[in-house]
Amino acid sequence: MSWREALRLSDVAFTELSLQAIYAYRQGNLGPEGPGRRLVARARRRVLESKVIVSFVLALLAFGAALVLRSGVVQAFFFPPGVPSGAFEAGVVTSLLSLDVAFLWWTGMQVLPTFLSSGVLPVLEPMPVDDRTLDRVAGLLYLRLFDLPALTVLLGTPILLGLVAGPIVGLAIVPGVVAAVAFSLALSLLTGRFFVRRVQGSRGGGGRTVVRWAYLVLWLVPAFAMFAFVILAPTFFTALAALASGGPSVTGHLLLAAFPFTLAVLPALLASGPAGLGLDPVGWGILLLASALYIALAAGSVVWVLRSVRGLQLLPIRPTAPAGARPVAIRTQPPIVSVLTKDLRIASRTPGFAFLILLPILDALAIGLLTYVRAPGGSLAFGIGLAAVMTAALLATFFGPAFFAVEVFAFSYGRTLPLSDRSLLGGKVLLVALMFLVAGGTVLGITLTRVFDPVLFAAFIVAELPAVIAASLLELGLLFRRARSKGLPITNLYSGAWIAVLVSVPGLLVAGIPLLAFELTLAGGLGLGLLAMAGTALGELGVVAPFALGRGAA
Amino acid sequence: MVVAPAPSAPVPLALEGLSVAYGEHRAVDRLSIEVRPGEIYGLLGSNGAGKTSTIKSIVGLVRPVGGRVLVFGRDVVGHPLETKQRIGYVPETSLLYDALTPREFLEFVASVRHLEPVAASERCQSYVTAFRLEAEFEEPILTLSNGTRQKVLLIAALLHEPPLLVLDEPLNSLDPRSVRIMKELLAAYVGGGDRGILFSTHTMEVAEQLCHRVGILDRGVLRGEGTIPALREKVKAGDATLEDLFLRLTEEGEGVRAAVDSLTGRR
Repeated sequence: MSWREALRLSDVAFTELSLQAIYAYRQGNLGPEGPGRRLVARARRRVLESKVIVSFVLALLAFGAALVLRSGVVQAFFFPPGVPSGAFEAGVVTSLLSLDVAFLWWTGMQVLPTFLSSGVLPVLEPMPVDDRTLDRVAGLLYLRLFDLPALTVLLGTPILLGLVAGPIVGLAIVPGVVAAVAFSLALSLLTGRFFVRRVQGSRGGGGRTVVRWAYLVLWLVPAFAMFAFVILAPTFFTALAALASGGPSVTGHLLLAAFPFTLAVLPALLASGPAGLGLDPVGWGILLLASALYIALAAGSVVWVLRSVRGLQLLPIRPTAPAGARPVAIRTQPPIVSVLTKDLRIASRTPGFAFLILLPILDALAIGLLTYVRAPGGSLAFGIGLAAVMTAALLATFFGPAFFAVEVFAFSYGRTLPLSDRSLLGGKVLLVALMFLVAGGTVLGITLTRVFDPVLFAAFIVAELPAVIAASLLELGLLFRRARSKGLPITNLYSGAWIAVLVSVPGLLVAGIPLLAFELTLAGGLGLGLLAMAGTALGELGVVAPFALGRGAA
Repeated sequence: MVVAPAPSAPVPLALEGLSVAYGEHRAVDRLSIEVRPGEIYGLLGSNGAGKTSTIKSIVGLVRPVGGRVLVFGRDVVGHPLETKQRIGYVPETSLLYDALTPREFLEFVASVRHLEPVAASERCQSYVTAFRLEAEFEEPILTLSNGTRQKVLLIAALLHEPPLLVLDEPLNSLDPRSVRIMKELLAAYVGGGDRGILFSTHTMEVAEQLCHRVGILDRGVLRGEGTIPALREKVKAGDATLEDLFLRLTEEGEGVRAAVDSLTGRR
């Protein structure tokens, strides 16, 4: 069969994938009522909307890079006169390509579990379609997950940079963006295979749960890559300026061999001329060799991706250890705690949810470690610690609504159990509060090694806790109301992220107001600041709780 | 066919003029049936007859547009938690929390139902042994076969020993050994005389062997109800099988013949 047939089949499969991504019928969601045709159209539109949001962010990154290249302000700040300007241009393109890879990879990791659970490819397998066409259908289907975002990188970046630095420079970035897209597709697929083999089929039991969570930390790598690059960009440019002014060096040669710097040098060379980078013959040799290697690797990645996608959905999910019969023991918990336990167990085999739990905690850990390494003392360490607690509160609040989506799994069965909405809501709020306490406790634990004032730090966390609870109650209360009228909202990147974002806005306000009250009253002393913060937080909880838990609500 | 027990205890399940609709489409139309104490009631019907919609409204997944569902005299709409506590439900499709293991899933169910852990563990152990589920007890449900998933659902439904079991095609995907165990178990389950079972199926042999009374649904409407001898009398069908009775009551006998003729080219 032809590519045309593969394209036709992949379109049908993508419609099914969109429907499952939005309504998750195959995972046990009840979904909204309505004519099937309308639901299908709505699902495709929602997936497209989400792709547009992702593409918009990528376009924004390219626009930002173009602006930095054109304005010259940033260059003047980091690169003193006399330092070759080509290094700066290569640095900007390197930053952009790194962020593109990290963002596309992260996107892939967010949508891959949905892709796997949709089960669209196994449906095609028994049909009289030859192997090659099935490979092509799978490849095309996978590419369609990334189509608009990838096109934004592949076309938008050269066009934007071409407009700023001239069409030749715009064309010269093409190998870089092609490699960035190819590598991110391959990395997404690699991590997807890893997920199927190591996480999804992992058996129950305490020790294995810990190992599973450790694996899931890997899921955070691209998100942290984005985060780290934004944080470390000034350090990177300062080091780059020092390297460029010092002439050829081993470090410089290593940098030339490292992706994406290698492919970022070509547009820089065309923008500033060969003298703009001050390359020696060894540098030229490394550059040519590494460029050829990365272009070949990118081509190989695309071929590998197209050949391997089909196998991903067909990978047998095998238990990680041989099964053995043991006496059956059932432990019971209060319903609210059992909801929390269930969500944690589901998250430990579902990267999308594990990501939401781990991000605020690891973010707090990163900030805490940064504080420790830089070794500031006194008020600065305290300030950083408090800022980290604030970040933890806001992140926990922002991601809270997404935990509602756990209910999608076997939602129709869960609704038949005698579990009150109040217990369900309570379990989710407990999880958000726990995330905040662990994240806040982590950063403050590290900060205490610099400024030992445990009572003050604990008071800060305790004062903010009611606001975090109020914020998640508000967000989840809104989602419960919506669930009753329109069915369960599923919230991952490609299936209605906007719902989570919309309910997060009032939630973030609720979590943020006590922090603002603290800042505004701090001039009157720490005690007053903490009192104002705790008072505001408790007041908010008093207002929000009846809305979320009162009669006619949960 | 089993002889129907005499009612003495409160009625486990009563549907009074139940109507279920999806938009313009009326899936169940003014259905009134009763599952009596000590009775296994078989709800029979073709695909799309309204069996699953009826069951979904009993377990609270669908809100009726008319009529009432009473579980031991309590309206399921007005008292959802109380009635759900008294129901054990096996859905038509084995949709479970795939990311949990059977143990983790059953712990969640037992917690939500406020079960005492020792008694729950003992009951669970006996079901796990009977269904030979020991080896899969710690594997993620995602990795289990359909039949094994169905066994997990059956255990979850029986764990709290509910006075009313609502089973939607419960024997689908089970191996012959488990089917036999289930049949014996269900017959014994209502033996005490106060529990009831609503059993939906389109396998006539199973209904004939297991059910005290059957109700035949067709396009949302109850076409016939009673013991099999009573139904035979109703359609004056001598010693007809349940399958024959079903086809006559749903007026599908002629349609079946025409379809077979068309498929075999006899026309």
